[in-house]
Amino acid sequence: MTVTDIVGITVSTVILGSIYGLVAIGMTLIYGTLRILDMSQGSMVMVGSFIAWGILVVAGWNPTLAIIAAFIATFILGALTQLVSVQPLMKRRNAIDFEMVTFITTFAVAMVLTNVALELFGPFQRNVTPVISGAISVYHGVDLPYQSLTMALVSIAMMAGLGIFLARTRWGMAIRAVAQDLDAARLMGVPVGKLYPLTMGLASALAGVAGVFLGGLYFAYPQAGDLPLLEALIVVIFGGLGSLPGTVYAAYAIGLIQSIAEVIVGTTWSLPILYGVILLVLIVRPYGLLGKPSEARL
Amino acid sequence: MSERSAVSDPSAVSERPALSPSAFPGMTRGRWALSGLAVLLAAATPLVMTDQYVLGVMITTLILLVLNISWNFVLGVAGVWNFGQLALYALGGYGAGIIMLHSSVSPWLALLAGGLVAMIAAILLSFPTLRLYGIYTSLLTFAFAEVIQYVILNDGSGLTGGSFGLPIVPGLYSSLSLAAAANAYYWTTLAVVVASTLVLAAIGHSRLGIALRGIRDAPAYAAARGVDPLRYRILAFAISGFLAGIAGGLYVSYDQSISPSVMGLTPMSVYVTMLVIGGLSTATGPILGTIVVQIVATLLVTHPSAEFTILGLFLLVVVVFVPDGLAGLIGRYWRRIAAWAAEGEEQRTDVADTAAQTEGSPDQHVA
Repeated sequence: MTVTDIVGITVSTVILGSIYGLVAIGMTLIYGTLRILDMSQGSMVMVGSFIAWGILVVAGWNPTLAIIAAFIATFILGALTQLVSVQPLMKRRNAIDFEMVTFITTFAVAMVLTNVALELFGPFQRNVTPVISGAISVYHGVDLPYQSLTMALVSIAMMAGLGIFLARTRWGMAIRAVAQDLDAARLMGVPVGKLYPLTMGLASALAGVAGVFLGGLYFAYPQAGDLPLLEALIVVIFGGLGSLPGTVYAAYAIGLIQSIAEVIVGTTWSLPILYGVILLVLIVRPYGLLGKPSEARL
Repeated sequence: MSERSAVSDPSAVSERPALSPSAFPGMTRGRWALSGLAVLLAAATPLVMTDQYVLGVMITTLILLVLNISWNFVLGVAGVWNFGQLALYALGGYGAGIIMLHSSVSPWLALLAGGLVAMIAAILLSFPTLRLYGIYTSLLTFAFAEVIQYVILNDGSGLTGGSFGLPIVPGLYSSLSLAAAANAYYWTTLAVVVASTLVLAAIGHSRLGIALRGIRDAPAYAAARGVDPLRYRILAFAISGFLAGIAGGLYVSYDQSISPSVMGLTPMSVYVTMLVIGGLSTATGPILGTIVVQIVATLLVTHPSAEFTILGLFLLVVVVFVPDGLAGLIGRYWRRIAAWAAEGEEQRTDVADTAAQTEGSPDQHVA
């Protein structure tokens, strides 16, 4: 392994880890608060990509506007998803199959969103203008596009922002309180009914912003959310469902595994190798890196 | 699915009878006659129905039924979130197909071998899932399916044919003419569907089925009562895997080919929709769900995005409003009609009301 490889792996770990973290942290937030695995998060990435395409390519407006628009639109869409597919089931919250039922309903929402996009925009892959063009040379042969750098910085900023929101603000503390003990939170006057859509809206908005950047790296198309969803699933389960620090560590760990695998065996086998590693981790630690069996986390 | 939550209280498990005297409780003579008639009608269809396209759709539906019945056993009855079932289906298909292509043994033996290949893979898959719970199981099994798909796609020896799949496989009825073979496939798959429904329903009410539901609904309680999760889960995976492999073998011989596209997220989402709409863990659920979804899919075959939008909305509505699926819905109306009929009977004769009630309120559910 040459120095170029090592620098390349480091750069790619930071970029991949940041973007995985942004999508996965929303899923962790939702799982920690509502105890559901939200399968519609991938579609939020797709919606974010299409908003970026609409604003940057079709309208030709400012990239900052695209990020803000994607944030607001996916926030609303996420809150609506909660109201439609999860809220009616909340009374069955303690049933043994609650996780599976909500897994299926959010999956149904993802199916509808993907195919509505297919109906509206067709199956074509649309080029999305990068938010920022150009690249800096980090080392001989290793280029770091500004798009990826911005993406990593925005991801880290948003993850930090979420951390501060959860730790400092009233609403953030309410979310943590619900995650820790629903009944106690209710007794303290936390408006749980409003909190659930807020949580899912917030998580979806993070995925939507990730979509703006991913659209610039790849394309905007109806299935654009499938791969990010799969990767986010791997990250949250690797890190331990519902553990925010675990998710962040897992995002970078998986970014590292994938970067090394790409350098050594090439892109085709990087996903199966990732699965193999996860399989081993789950056999040794069935609840992920920092997960705890059936306990309130976050 | 609500059945499961109803039994989350451990005391409810012990109230159930340990074993029913009949292998098929709830099946009255009238219901046997009705089911027999339905099977006979289904068997007679190709004699009247000469449209090859419709017959082809029906054969595909029957093959999917075998797959969904096998999946329902592990997903519904055993309650293990196995999302690797399509990999077992593909393994059975490739196993049978490769033997049919490269050896001169009877294609029926090849079909059986495909089932055995899938069964062995299922038993291997059952070990790591034992340590996991719920959503973790689903990811692990899905990862297994992805790895199998990758291996098939990137096989260097040329045995699987990569993304193009297997070339023309002779199949079970290579000596018959096209139309006669279609009829033969129809009857074969129908027989497999009927046999597997009967066998799995009987297993569902046997000691094995009760043990599986016990482990599903109250794992700690079941273990405390001496039900060994390891033994029963391996058995459940083996049975379900074998049947999925047979479904794959039937697919490869009817379609004369199989490619890695039989696996993946898109087909899986359709099959999950079928199971959930029909009613998980019931005997009739997979049959109803598969037929309804297949009809919707066939009607909208020229418009796939509308098909998936409708299926998604359908799935959402069913899960929210009819948690036990179409089978549960029909069962409830059936019981209401039966209760109403029993009431009328009571007024007329005033005797044998208990008999009318036990006969009139059959529980269609396996679980």
